[in-house]
Formats: sequence, structure tokens, C-alpha cells
Amino acid sequence: MFDETLALTNRALKKWVRNPATIFPGLFTAAFYLALFGNSFNPTNLIPTSSNGIPIPPAALAQAKAAILTTTFGGAATYITYLTAGVICLIVVFNMAFGGIDLVLDRQLGYFGTLLTAPIPRAAIYFSGVFQNLVKAMFLGVLTFVIALLIPDGLILTPSFGVLEFLGAFLAIGLLGLGLSCLFTAIALSVRTIDSLIAIVNFLNLPLIFMSNALFPSSSFPGWLKAVSDVNPISKADEAARILIVKGNPSASGQLGTVTGDLLYLVGFVVVMGALGYLVARRALRPE
Amino acid sequence: MTSPKIIEAENLTKVYKGKVKAVDHISFYVDEGEIFGFLGPNGAGKTTTIKMLNTLASITEGKAIVDGKDVTKNPAGVRDVIGVVPQELTADDELKGIENLLLSARLHHVPRNEAHKRAKDLLKLVDLENSAERRVKTYSGGMRRRLQLAIGLIHTPKILFLDEPTLGLDIQTRTKMWEYLSKLNKDEGITIFMTTHYLEEADSLCSRIAIIDHGAIKVSGSPSQLKEKLGGDILTIELGAGPDITDFLKGIPDVSDVTRRGQAYRIKLPKTEKALPAIVEGVTSRGLQIIEISFTKPTLDQVFLDVTGKSMRDEDAGESDSVMQNFVNERMR
Ligand SMILES: Nc1ncnc2c1ncn2[C@@H]1O[C@H](COP(=O)(O)OP(=O)(O)OP(=O)(O)O)[C@@H](O)[C@H]1O
Ligand SMILES: [Mg+2]
Repeated sequence: MFDETLALTNRALKKWVRNPATIFPGLFTAAFYLALFGNSFNPTNLIPTSSNGIPIPPAALAQAKAAILTTTFGGAATYITYLTAGVICLIVVFNMAFGGIDLVLDRQLGYFGTLLTAPIPRAAIYFSGVFQNLVKAMFLGVLTFVIALLIPDGLILTPSFGVLEFLGAFLAIGLLGLGLSCLFTAIALSVRTIDSLIAIVNFLNLPLIFMSNALFPSSSFPGWLKAVSDVNPISKADEAARILIVKGNPSASGQLGTVTGDLLYLVGFVVVMGALGYLVARRALRPE
Repeated sequence: MTSPKIIEAENLTKVYKGKVKAVDHISFYVDEGEIFGFLGPNGAGKTTTIKMLNTLASITEGKAIVDGKDVTKNPAGVRDVIGVVPQELTADDELKGIENLLLSARLHHVPRNEAHKRAKDLLKLVDLENSAERRVKTYSGGMRRRLQLAIGLIHTPKILFLDEPTLGLDIQTRTKMWEYLSKLNKDEGITIFMTTHYLEEADSLCSRIAIIDHGAIKVSGSPSQLKEKLGGDILTIELGAGPDITDFLKGIPDVSDVTRRGQAYRIKLPKTEKALPAIVEGVTSRGLQIIEISFTKPTLDQVFLDVTGKSMRDEDAGESDSVMQNFVNERMR
């Protein structure tokens, strides 16, 4: 079971590595979102520079901006610093969702036929789908982090951000990715055409993203939306990753409990999605 | 002890999505070590039958036993002993030829060393040694089909399912493919279940064939048995001037029918070899001169036309069916 899963995952990743061009759209999207949300939608840029024709003194303006960052954006050094965790989540969610296209193609081209007549556990087909998607999406997630660092006035890390914080942030995002990969792999195995996959994915993606705190702080949401956002695994991954990226060492900022809670929640999410996805996939891989 | 019958199908039926009856209560068997051919026009139900036997399609009704295992109850057991070469080309484009083979070997739990050796042998067999390190997307259609055959054989299966192995191949490559298949069948004792539209393919390769049309088996047996059903060989003999000897010819045992046009006689017989001496002796003893003598063995084309029936086909001939019909007609000319 393990060896077959590895062999199939390996095959998929080999194909991916041999077509490096497929990475560029992902990279472009990451850079685009960071630039778009980081500048155009940057709320600290929305403060008027004058009031009733009287220019606001630059010092006061800077203070107001800093106050917004402290109160609304968790003390992030810049808006992009606040946004990075959310954009990484967004990139991971989108790539995860569309990663299933390769699986639909495998079915359409008859490759599944070859797999299904081979003496391998059906679960190996499912898990290799889950892992190949996860690896691809996480790679782009890490790249997004690097891009954020490279943007001028972009991601600014605190001195207490170390290897552990980095690993912790990507553990949270990785668990989110794993759970979502289980969900989207099961969906990709169940549909017969790329069109129907895209329809389902689009239907799920936008609500998942916007009903989370990935792009806007949930404190500004109406009650019902905040309730949804609070149980959304994207919010949990985003919260944990954001705390670690913005504040560095969570013990120092007194948020270790929140981070641990989020991680446990995400482990639960992975277990539930893994089991659910497996049941759906097993059904989808039955003889026609 | 394995039974000599390695595949047994009983009333095998497939109804897709509760509507299309693709295969309708067919029964047949395949002996261990033989090449069994499933012959039929487009849409006859050949692929569907293979899919039921190789665990890809569920069986709506009836039963199939492959190597002693019930396909529905023990699909995993069946997968252990079969190799499949599908009608579509499914090798991975982005991988090299050799990588495709080794991946398939790994999925069939062939030990690494053995896999490399087997891959090498197979690549040699299908003449792809020099292209093994190229990505499959650079292969021609014929190369892909040959690779597909090698992939199906990498784990030395007991039974090989071949769905139209020579589809789209030129005549040289097709003949090559036949060579590979007979060689594998002889040297490795692999039982082969194959489908084809090509009548001469079934004739030259298969020890037994079944002709399937509209989901039902119309006739089955060895190629020579099937031809015999048509009434055997036809002997044409042209004589010099002389009396009508139709009655004499009809009196010879084994002669089933005689028609005369001038001094040319068309004699139908099950076995030319048996009746020929008596005919020649009778003719020469009457002082008649033999100007020309020839005989034709019936072809599977004729059997095929006989059982699928042109008129029957024409009623609901779809586009693909008429392509098949044209093909048959062309070959009859
Ligand atoms: N997945 C499917 N769903 C519904 N109908 C199907 C399906 N697959 C095949 N059929 C139908 O079943 C019938 C038999 O198809 P099948 O593919 O078995 O024919 P075939 O003999 O292999 O033909 P060909 O020579 O064209 O490959 C056809 O009428 C076809 O339309
Ligand atoms: Mg077919």
C-alpha cells in the first residue's frame, strides 16, 4: 500500500517537475494577490491626507496608520505582513482545488483503467492523489512566503521569528492543505469531466475563502459570518500561521494556547476529511 | 490443479446505466494456453466483455470465472494474474518508455532487478530498445501500441487481455505484432484473449474465435470449423469439350453441391483432399481433358458476413457499422 502510493505520487510529481511552466501561473497569482491586496486594498492607505482642506500632519498620519495596524491587524509591521498568512492559505486552497484536474485527465485518458486492473489497493490511488496535490500546493505556499519577503515594504519578520515559527506556520497551512486535498481529491475522482470539476471547485472555493479571516479580520464581520468563519478550517490555519509570522515566538506574545488549539482543530479536520474522502473515493473507483 | 478452462463466462450480461444492453447473455470459455479471438464490428460489445473480465466493469447478470476466481467475488485475485492492453493508448506521455514499464512493474510488485531485466527483454521484443529513454510523447502511434503491449506483459501475466492490439497499425507493424503475440503464447505459455475487427488477424493468430454482434455471440469455434460450417472448400475445374458430368460429380461421396457453366464445374466439398483423387480419376477415365483446376478455401470474411448478415446490419447500421461493412466488402472483392 505504502509503496504503491509512493510510486504513484512519484509519477505525478515527476510529470510536474518536467513541466516547470505549470508553476508560473501559481507564482503569478501569488504575486498578484500580494500586490493587489497589499497596496490597492491596503486600509492604511485609505486614510485621507487632509481633512476639510487642512492637511493632516505626516506625523499624525503615521500614527493613525500604526494605530490601525496595532488594533485591527494584530500589531503587524506592515499590511502585507498581516496579509501573508492569508494569501498563502488562499494560494494553497486554489491550487489544491484545481490540482484535481490531473486526476480527471488520468481518468479520461484511460490511465485509471491501467491502475484499476493492477493488483494495488484502491486507497493507493486516493492517497497518491492527496499527496501529489499537497506537495504541489505547499511548494507554491512556500514560494508565496518568499515573494512576500522580497516585496519592498512587504513581509517584515520580527527578530523572534525562527525555524520553529516557520515550521509551525507551515504545519498549520500543511494540515489545512492535507484536509482540503482529501476533500478535493475525492471530488476529482468522482467527476468525469474537467468542466464539472471546475464548476464544483468554483462553487466551493470562494465561499470557503471569503467566509474565513484569510483576507479580512473576522472581527469586522457580521455575527453570522463570524460564526461561520470561526469554524472554518481556513481561519484556524490562517490564525495560527499569522500569529507566528507577525509575532514570532508565540510564548512571548502569550498566544501559544491559541496556536496549539488551532493545530489540534486542524488535525481533527484532517482526520475527518481523510476518512470522508476515502469513502467517497472508494465509491468513485468501483467498477463502472 | 488448474482447470484447462482458464476463462469461463456464463450468461454474461452488461447493461450500462440501466439502458444500453452492451452484452446480452453470452457464454464462452477459453482454454489455458490458447489465443482466443473475439471478433465483431464496432459497438458489438467486445470492449465491454473484456472490461467485465478484467474487473473494470461490473457484471449486471451472469458469472465469469478467471483462473478459478469469480470476477465479482474476488476481483483482487483476478488482478493478480492478468495483464491488460486497453484499446486506448494509456502510457504516460511525460514519462520515458522505460519509466512507464518500470512503474507498471512496481505496481505489479515485480522485484526491481527482475523488472529491469524483463523491461529490457520486452523492449527488445517490441523493437523499442533504442527509444526506451525517450519520452512517450515523442513516440509514433505504432511505437505507442508496441510499448502498450510491453506494459501489459511486464509482470509476465498468466492471461493477457488485448483489446484491438493492432488498431491503426500499418501492415508491416501489424504482422510484427502477430509475431510477438505468437511468440509470447508459445514461449511463455501466456493465454491470450484478444478482440479485433481484422478477420485475417483472428484467422492467423487464434486457435478459437467467437463472432459477436449486437452483444450476442453468433458463432464460435476454430477458424477451420467456422469455415467448414459454410460448406467447406470450393473446387473449380474446367474441362475440354465433352459430355455433362454433373451427375457423376454429384455421386461422389463428400461432394455437397455442383454447379455447371459450360464446361466449368463449381464443386462444393467439405474437404478437397478427400474427394480430389476420385474426381480426377473419374474425369480422366472418361477421356476428358483438364484445362484448369483450382480451389478456394472459404475465408472468415465469408463466415463473418454469413453470421452478422449484411441485411441485418443495414437495418440499423450506424456510421461505424457501415465503415466495418465497407471494410468487409472491400476485402471480399
Ligand atoms: N460507459 C458506457 N456507458 C454507456 N454505454 C456504453 C459504455 N461503454 C460502451 N457502451 C455501449 O455499449 C455498446 C458496446 O460497446 P463496446 O465498447 O463494448 O463495443 P466494441 O465491440 O468494443 O466496439 P469497438 O469495436 O468500437 O471498440 C455500444 O453500444 C456502446 O455505445
Ligand atoms: Mg472496443
